[in-house]
Amino acid sequence: MTVPEILFHDVSKFYGEVLGVNKVELRILPGITSLVGPNGSGKTTLMNLLTGLIHPDRGTIMVRGLSPRDPERLMRITGYATQYDTAPRGTTGFDFVSTGLIVAGNTKKQAADLAWKALEHIGMTEAAHRKVASYSKGMRQRVRLAQAIAGDPDVLVLDEPLNGLDPLIRAETVALFQDFAAQGRHVILSSHVLQEVDIISDRVIFISNGMIVAEGEIRGVREEIHEHPSQYMIRCRDASRVASLLFGQDHITEVKLHDDRLGLLVMTRDRVAFSRALTGIALDGHTIESVMAVDANVDALYKYLIGGSE
Amino acid sequence: MTVYRRGYNRYQGPITGRLSRLLVLPKYSWHRVLQQRLVVILLIMAMFYPLGCIAFVYLSNHVELLKGFGSGIKDFLEIDGNFFLIFMHVQGIFAIVLTIVSGQKLIAPDLSNGALQLYFSRPLSRADYVLARLLVLLGLLSLITWIPGLLVFSLQSGMAGWSWFAQNWNLGLSVFIGSLLWILLISLIALTCWAYIRRKIMAELSILGVFFVLNAVATIGNNVLGVTWASFFNPRQVIDRIWNGLLGITPESGPAVFGCWIALMVMMTLPLMILTRKLRPVEVVS
Amino acid sequence: MNAVFRIRQTWIIARLLLRRVFLFRRSSWVYLLAMFPAVVFLAHGIQMKIQNQWTPSRVTPSALLESIREGAREDEVIEKAGIPIKDRSFQSKQKKQLRNMEYFDGERWWFLSFRDGILQYKHNQKLVDFTKDRLAFAGMFQFYYLRLAIFFGCLGIFANLFRGEMLDKTLHFWFLAPARREVLLAGKYLASVIAALLVFTVGAVLGFAMMLWPHHAAQVTAYWQDQGLSHLFSYISAAALGCMGYGSIFLAFGLLFRNPIFPSIVILFWENINGVLPTWLQKLSVLHYAQSLCPVPVPTNDSMPVLIRLLISPADPPSTFTAIFGFIILTALVLWVTSRIVRRLEINYNTE
Repeated sequence: MTVPEILFHDVSKFYGEVLGVNKVELRILPGITSLVGPNGSGKTTLMNLLTGLIHPDRGTIMVRGLSPRDPERLMRITGYATQYDTAPRGTTGFDFVSTGLIVAGNTKKQAADLAWKALEHIGMTEAAHRKVASYSKGMRQRVRLAQAIAGDPDVLVLDEPLNGLDPLIRAETVALFQDFAAQGRHVILSSHVLQEVDIISDRVIFISNGMIVAEGEIRGVREEIHEHPSQYMIRCRDASRVASLLFGQDHITEVKLHDDRLGLLVMTRDRVAFSRALTGIALDGHTIESVMAVDANVDALYKYLIGGSE
Repeated sequence: MTVYRRGYNRYQGPITGRLSRLLVLPKYSWHRVLQQRLVVILLIMAMFYPLGCIAFVYLSNHVELLKGFGSGIKDFLEIDGNFFLIFMHVQGIFAIVLTIVSGQKLIAPDLSNGALQLYFSRPLSRADYVLARLLVLLGLLSLITWIPGLLVFSLQSGMAGWSWFAQNWNLGLSVFIGSLLWILLISLIALTCWAYIRRKIMAELSILGVFFVLNAVATIGNNVLGVTWASFFNPRQVIDRIWNGLLGITPESGPAVFGCWIALMVMMTLPLMILTRKLRPVEVVS
Repeated sequence: MNAVFRIRQTWIIARLLLRRVFLFRRSSWVYLLAMFPAVVFLAHGIQMKIQNQWTPSRVTPSALLESIREGAREDEVIEKAGIPIKDRSFQSKQKKQLRNMEYFDGERWWFLSFRDGILQYKHNQKLVDFTKDRLAFAGMFQFYYLRLAIFFGCLGIFANLFRGEMLDKTLHFWFLAPARREVLLAGKYLASVIAALLVFTVGAVLGFAMMLWPHHAAQVTAYWQDQGLSHLFSYISAAALGCMGYGSIFLAFGLLFRNPIFPSIVILFWENINGVLPTWLQKLSVLHYAQSLCPVPVPTNDSMPVLIRLLISPADPPSTFTAIFGFIILTALVLWVTSRIVRRLEINYNTE
């Protein structure tokens, strides 16, 4: 059986003379995939291309075997929580969620049941019959989420879905995404909160200036970056001794001793050699309490690949 | 952690004069308006009729060039109140279209983007703001109304001589006052529409409606009910009567000129009241 | 997903939108445009009813009033017809002595205007004039209803279908629904056509009813049995076809132009000068076809400017079949073109 996937082949999109995305080549597998990049890098453009709100000037896109130019079929398996927080005039939260379900062919009763279920999921039942225009930023965000998940889609596309959510709802929402991903569905999201991306995502796609800079599992991406030495934090009793032992190795570029002299920060150009050396030190009787990769996270990768910080 | 009490004081240094503060807004607006291609095209188109009038004035003062056209040509080429009335009507229509084209970015974006808060947090009152926006349209519409009108009048005065000017100086004054009244009326109506109706298309539609649909509504009202007072609801007819009065023309029928002056005052006051009510730095949730 | 499903989807979208179209406070101006004829004829009816109740008891025989010729002296007229019911004397700016007299013959008011004691002008006006009111309705329908009310109403409704949602940044909501863009277009068009048709045909019917209301029942029944029903049907058809024609044009404008008002001004100008254009150019106008369905020609008189007379009388009016067929072709063509545009339409609110 083939794995359902989302494919971008040689996709380019220009807004007049402004570059949206350029020559994007992507293969996205089920699970949670995060799009990471600075403002204007092309994250929303990619999402809009994927859902057919805009069309590529070049290249092809397939979403689980469907073209974004076929909204009739694509939007049955796709839910998109956009960045636009407006709803047609006079629309209530309930209308906002149920309309798409009715258009999809559900009866009014079925649509209402599905809409209520989605609204319950994100804790919006009380305000459901109020107009969306009167909602706060967080409520608008939640109702968009409800609309995206209401049709129980196979592909969930979410533009900055955690913005404006309070911590409790945020945790529940993350759990919801993880639940979706666990069922073999696609969850594609963009976020500025890199720590959260780190925790949620199975994979990340780094995008800058409309071009894909890196993609894959976070650890895998880190391993591909050779120009920046890897950083490890070691906690041990005789840190000074361990530091001197490590410093003798060729691949070690820097060792910093922690103020409490119980820990040290090590930078190495060769992760395998470092691992071997550390094993040797431990076998020699030095107690190593913990070893942690400091820069195998999205924040560090963002700095390495894109530069600066969000 | 120690938190020190911090006191923030507003700027207490010298500020520029009211007029120069007020003129900042139109200065940038004129620049922006004149960058629109359609505005420039319309400005050029609106100059065709005044150019034709200049040719007409030249011919009327050189009837000898048209000897072959018979004796009636002299009466046809007379420069009188009717000549300037037609001029004001033609340029008046251009003024409406130009207002719709140029004015769309004057108030509506400030309202929809919440810019009023920014303006009013500076030393700028609501009246200053309205005046500044009015000045944009006043400047632009003057270019196609009273300025070419007075140019034509001056040309005629120069060619026809002092005696003509002495007899008809009121025509020039009427063109100036009449055009200013018209500019003021359409500017106020347009600004009100933009302030009241956020959707650009609908605001423009309502401006068109005020000047064209009300014209028909008043005519039907007059005809069906056999009255003349329905004309008081028609800005175009009201201004026509006032122009007639200013230019010393007596039309065959229609509402009284005094009534039209009252109607004009009401038509100007109403938009001002709506503008004052609408232009508040608040966000309205629809 | 077959054609039946798509038709059902179209209807679902139309139904969802219809509810909003009719309940929106913002749509009230369309109701005002459409109901104005009914209001003005209602006012006219009330005016006539009041006039009927207050008719003067002093009646001058019509034969006697008819016998008075222009050029007669004031004293001759008073001697013949008696003291007038209303009598007003005043002086003109040219220092002429003017006098207006009014007589009533039981059915009509007679107006006699004197200058320097000599009868210059005499005319009469029926208290209840059915023919005049029918002509007034015909004039109102052609000058106001077709040219302005339906034009502006449809411009407001149809040009906003897509452009308005672009400006409101809400179009993505519809584009993310599991429906083909063509189905979405058809649904939106259908909702708007139904709304426009209902509002403007009901407006025309109400206006027509208000025009008939103050007249004698016998007169109205005779008219109804003779031509009344077919006239009403023709007015409804003209209003309906006007809505469809203008609707499809403005729908296309809303998709083709970022600001559809300016091309619409051009169309307004074109429609209004259409009567004076060459025959083949006249055919490129909604008004040309809609006007040809109007059952009562607008009266023209010699005092009317030639240009106005030309504008209200199409040189070569098409047959009813051609008019209806023309509208259907136009609508189908525009819908086909707009469906191509809407398929390629992208959500890019930043450029609005």
